[in-house]
Amino acid sequence: MKEFFWGKNDIYSNVNTIPDKWKNESAVVIYKYENHDYHNYRINVTYTSGVRKKIMLLDEAAVKEFSEFSFLDKVYSDIGYARKAGANILGVKIIKPNGSVVEIDVDKETKLIDNQKKIAISNLEVGDIIDFYLFSQEKFKSDGSSKFPKVERVLGDEYPIMNYKLNFLSENDFFINFNSYNGAPELKQVKAERSSDRKFELEAKNIEKEEFSKWLYPLVELPSYKFQVYFAKNGGDRNGADAFLSDREKDIKKTVDKDEVFKKYRHYLSGNYYYNGSVHEDPKKFFKDKKFGSDEERVRALYYYARYLYLIRPIELSVAGEANLGKEYRYMQTGFNTPFYSDEDFFNYFIAFLKSNNIDYDIILGSARYNGSIKDLLIKDNLTPVLRVNTSTPLYLEYFTPFSGIDYLNSDLENSKAFLLMGIGSKKEDGIEEIILPSSTIKDNVSKTISVISLNDDLTNFNVNREVSYSGHFKADEQKEKIPFYKYVEEDNKLYEASKRYGIPKSKDEIEKKGMKALIKKLEENFKEKHTNSISQEYKAKVEDYSLAIIKSGRNGVKEPFQFNEEFKIKNDFIKKAGDNYIIEIGKFLTSQIEIDKKEKDRKNDIYMPYPRAIENQITFEIPQGFTVSGLEKLNKSVSNETGRFISTAIVKDNKLVIETSKHYNNYFEPNSNWLKMIQFLDAAYQFTQEKILLKKI
Amino acid sequence: MNLYAKMLIVLLLSAKMFAQKDTGPTSDDVKIAKDLRDSYSKDDVAILKSVENVSFAINKEKNGVTVNNSISELLMNINHRADISKYEFYDSASKIETFNLKYRNDKMANYPVKDEFYKDKDLFYNDARVKHVSFDFPVQGYTYKYEMQKKYDDVKYFTSIYFNDEFPIVNKTINITVPDWLDIEFKEFNFEGKKIIKTQKKDLKSKATVYTFSLENVPAIYKEKDSPGKTYLYPHILIIAKSFKNNNKEVVLFNSTADLYKWYKSLVDSMKDDSLAFKSKVDELTTNAKTDEEKIKNIYYWVQDNIRYIAFEDGIAGFKPDESNNVFQKRYGDCKGMANLIKQMLKLAGFDARLTWVGTKHIAYDYSTPSLAVDNHMICTLFYKGKKYFLDGTEKFNSFGQYAERIQNKEVMIEDGDKFIIEKVPMCKPDFNKEIYTANLIIEDEKLKGSVSRKYEGEGAAQFLAIFNSFRKDKKEETLEYYLSKGDKNITVNNIKTSDLKNRDQNLTVDYNLSVSNKVTSFDNEIYIDLEFMNEYKNLEFSERKTDYEFDYKTYFVSNVVLTIPQGYKVTKLPQDLLIKENDFDVSVTYKIIGNTIEYKKTFVFKNAVIKSADMNKWNEFNKNLVNNYNQQITISK
Repeated sequence: MKEFFWGKNDIYSNVNTIPDKWKNESAVVIYKYENHDYHNYRINVTYTSGVRKKIMLLDEAAVKEFSEFSFLDKVYSDIGYARKAGANILGVKIIKPNGSVVEIDVDKETKLIDNQKKIAISNLEVGDIIDFYLFSQEKFKSDGSSKFPKVERVLGDEYPIMNYKLNFLSENDFFINFNSYNGAPELKQVKAERSSDRKFELEAKNIEKEEFSKWLYPLVELPSYKFQVYFAKNGGDRNGADAFLSDREKDIKKTVDKDEVFKKYRHYLSGNYYYNGSVHEDPKKFFKDKKFGSDEERVRALYYYARYLYLIRPIELSVAGEANLGKEYRYMQTGFNTPFYSDEDFFNYFIAFLKSNNIDYDIILGSARYNGSIKDLLIKDNLTPVLRVNTSTPLYLEYFTPFSGIDYLNSDLENSKAFLLMGIGSKKEDGIEEIILPSSTIKDNVSKTISVISLNDDLTNFNVNREVSYSGHFKADEQKEKIPFYKYVEEDNKLYEASKRYGIPKSKDEIEKKGMKALIKKLEENFKEKHTNSISQEYKAKVEDYSLAIIKSGRNGVKEPFQFNEEFKIKNDFIKKAGDNYIIEIGKFLTSQIEIDKKEKDRKNDIYMPYPRAIENQITFEIPQGFTVSGLEKLNKSVSNETGRFISTAIVKDNKLVIETSKHYNNYFEPNSNWLKMIQFLDAAYQFTQEKILLKKI
Repeated sequence: MNLYAKMLIVLLLSAKMFAQKDTGPTSDDVKIAKDLRDSYSKDDVAILKSVENVSFAINKEKNGVTVNNSISELLMNINHRADISKYEFYDSASKIETFNLKYRNDKMANYPVKDEFYKDKDLFYNDARVKHVSFDFPVQGYTYKYEMQKKYDDVKYFTSIYFNDEFPIVNKTINITVPDWLDIEFKEFNFEGKKIIKTQKKDLKSKATVYTFSLENVPAIYKEKDSPGKTYLYPHILIIAKSFKNNNKEVVLFNSTADLYKWYKSLVDSMKDDSLAFKSKVDELTTNAKTDEEKIKNIYYWVQDNIRYIAFEDGIAGFKPDESNNVFQKRYGDCKGMANLIKQMLKLAGFDARLTWVGTKHIAYDYSTPSLAVDNHMICTLFYKGKKYFLDGTEKFNSFGQYAERIQNKEVMIEDGDKFIIEKVPMCKPDFNKEIYTANLIIEDEKLKGSVSRKYEGEGAAQFLAIFNSFRKDKKEETLEYYLSKGDKNITVNNIKTSDLKNRDQNLTVDYNLSVSNKVTSFDNEIYIDLEFMNEYKNLEFSERKTDYEFDYKTYFVSNVVLTIPQGYKVTKLPQDLLIKENDFDVSVTYKIIGNTIEYKKTFVFKNAVIKSADMNKWNEFNKNLVNNYNQQITISK
């Protein structure tokens, strides 16, 4: 092992100095080396990985960082079966500034703590070079087709790197997908020592440290590489591999074209689905005696019903199982297994229905925008399949979440290029084409808050009543935060007029009867505390007496936003006394806005955002009797450009100050050249939060 | 399978389900739970009854005394539902023999029990292990019976028994059975004001006395931060096993402090220090030093700066210092290792330096009690020119002759051959830790602009230096700027000048230019000024706090902000001054017009580094006024 990392072939053994330009860094990586070695004997696979880092430590923080190591005693693979405990070996040496080398006796100095090994590195000081490797070996049996986890990394690290090398050593039956992006060096084949082996190398030098700013998709912009290795035994079903493989394992696969995607996914369109009686209910049963105005309504109704049957209804049972609420629950749970074992099952369940009803559909195969363009597709897991139903307004079906809708395409895929797999049996020809996926706009994704604020009698606390509604892509995250499982289970039970509540067993056991109620009561208490804390953070003030009432859950369709009402008190904040008058920090009721600091102003990266969105606020402040308001001018702001806007207006009407604000982010992406334009409206919104009004005693 | 066999299975199944039924609460249980929840509204679980038994036996092999400690408890869920864990620690000197949980019907509740190393972020490695079990109470009134038996190999490691637990206890009983052959002392702490009933009963047959202590309605331990140590907070019994008779021969255990020292000394005597390992380092540190004091500082500071605190508590290593040559070579050690290295390096440089045991501020005891519970820390005492100096290697940026709050006024036990010396670490005055914030500001473009000078002394300076020097080199500047502006976008800081941020022997100063936005607002002919952009101690409010609040150190903070009134304006409204003077806190907030300036001065003195729980209401009332003051504006008009 030592020979492998530090032996005679180590060309960096004598490199013990760093360039002047990095003298003020915390640490500098002189050499970073990663090795991946894939070998097999028939179905017995051995994956050996090693990483070595040789780092000059330039300050106390770096010494502290490398003064202790903790690693697993033994490693087990996540892949295959009959996994064997593999070695995990650490080697450490220290090179002192005078060139003397001290090797740490790792075996002697390591402590075993349960399954973890820990070592404190002796004799480590500022100015030293620490040179260490971690070698691990995973062994498992494969059924002939095994996928290693994908790796997607930017080249830069938290410290600058002088020299970097990445190595692959493999033999027949191992397929490597690898490509470099955004200017990272290419992987090259080099001569392997054994004729049966193949060796590939990526080398890079002089890599600056990387700091990640907000709104950045690192893999889209920064020098990076991606790879995935696949074991596909000769003679096995290589076409059925869960990856895009090259034709011959000696070739590194760098790109994937649309024909390959078509071959891999065409079976998704088969529409072969067997409705297995009572558990896997035939949609026909649901549609019996029901009439719908359009195909669109039928598909929507089926999606939500299937979501209820196969996700929502079993949720209560699985919660009960986790909470140990008794056997009866567990018996019931076995009857509610999902019929969907894969995306493919899920699609075919719906496709079978669409086909039999002559509704047109196809499958979108997109890649989330943070993965980079679809033309750089390399890894199958980066493709997200979506079933598009071509009704008058298209519907987009993906596997359920309690809050999933089908009126919008997944926001990660929007506004990007994708493949379209055209439906067999529909009017179109069987095939695949590249398309640009639709975008959503600031009209779709809206957060609207109407706040009514009043002061208590002694002018110290504010009472806030706000009605909030979220639409489009805003919804799901907010619903997840605010709607606990028992609320949506109850909602769906009512909606589908479930003849019996599936969550309550018929058992006479008191625990089983009362346990769920007790659990819900406890969760409600925690919920209230959680929301009080989160709203305190939103306003950055002390909040008391919080209550939440959901008006519309927004879980069943595009037209319905998620809407709720909140009431709470803000104590001892946002009001300052000035003699008989008061200064009200009215801007704070917009809640905290993004603060762009000095460093962020110099941003070098482009700007990547989740989706275009509009945040609208109406703030009504009830002016206390005996006071007038002045200082409205500063509440009127208007910054608008192609990247977005912040506009606010304020008027006094019926002894109320009414403020309207509107903040838009127009696009998914802005080039760096637009950053200053974004800052203009972001800063205007921030500045609004700082504005005050004067309550003047009459 | 024939019908009969099928029937049998059905019957067996239903019998099993039926048997589980009586694990649930009775209607009485539910009533008790509801009543208890009224009293303990913050607790999910209460212990209805907890009986702890302690007994002793002779370990013939080692000629010592072993301890059996058993606990049996009846736990009840008093909230709607509860999910909790029970855990028990043991180490190389103790073992857990029973650790189980039963349902109400006495059937074993087979939740998985885990047995693993106890991980503590402050200890790199320790031999303490923990057995723990997580379980749930599905409904209110549900109960479990918990039983634990633990054995200690040596009575000296069994130091104390507490009444309080993580959960409130309705009825707590401690029975200690003391055989006639054992001479033992029970020291009672924090019994005052508690209705602890004590009885004792002589049992002639077993030749032992049973001491019983019982207490009702024992609240759960407090889950509050910055509290005093548990030895101050809760009633407990310190166990001091003095001696025992084995075959009519008396064996002395910890009869007096001298015995405790004797044991510590035996550990020290078994060390084999090799000062050759650091001779050249000591030479390097002392050769060019002009004075003895410079030599001492060079050695002391070198250890602070170069030896990392990494603690191994492995059996006897929890008490015996690591050899100085090891600590030097490894460049890491715990407090004992560092104290020993300082001692040996100073000795090599010709000074009289000795190991010193100390219980930090966290521990209520002094050396009048011979127990391992008295101390938890080790430092080095330097005897120099007739004075004693205490050197703590675990402190970072501690200046020679200054002492950290945690050891001030605490008794120390200093090596003195076969004898020992008991002394107290001197206590500093609050102004020793003075921190001064001075700002001279003007109003320009609706901004407060000017220069700021900050000065830190004593522990404030040490803390600042330690934190600053722990940051990455490439982030230091940015982090300092962030600290000075409090991360507030309205506060811009530039042109920062500091004193040498490696030097712990001089006052620390930070000077910079400041610009604060959004604190000056003009309405009509008036300007409203909010000079309160730092909000010191604004959030120091304690709702429902039961324990004292302890500061890191005695605090003396002064802020003096001077604002020049713009030409043509006069002050029309100043907030009122605010003063409070109590034993533990002394605060003044004043506003003065001097010439064309407003002087806004705040002084906060927490001279004992504490706000006592008894004074919480007074402090909270004051804090309310303080916030009220901070929420007031200065008005100037034309």
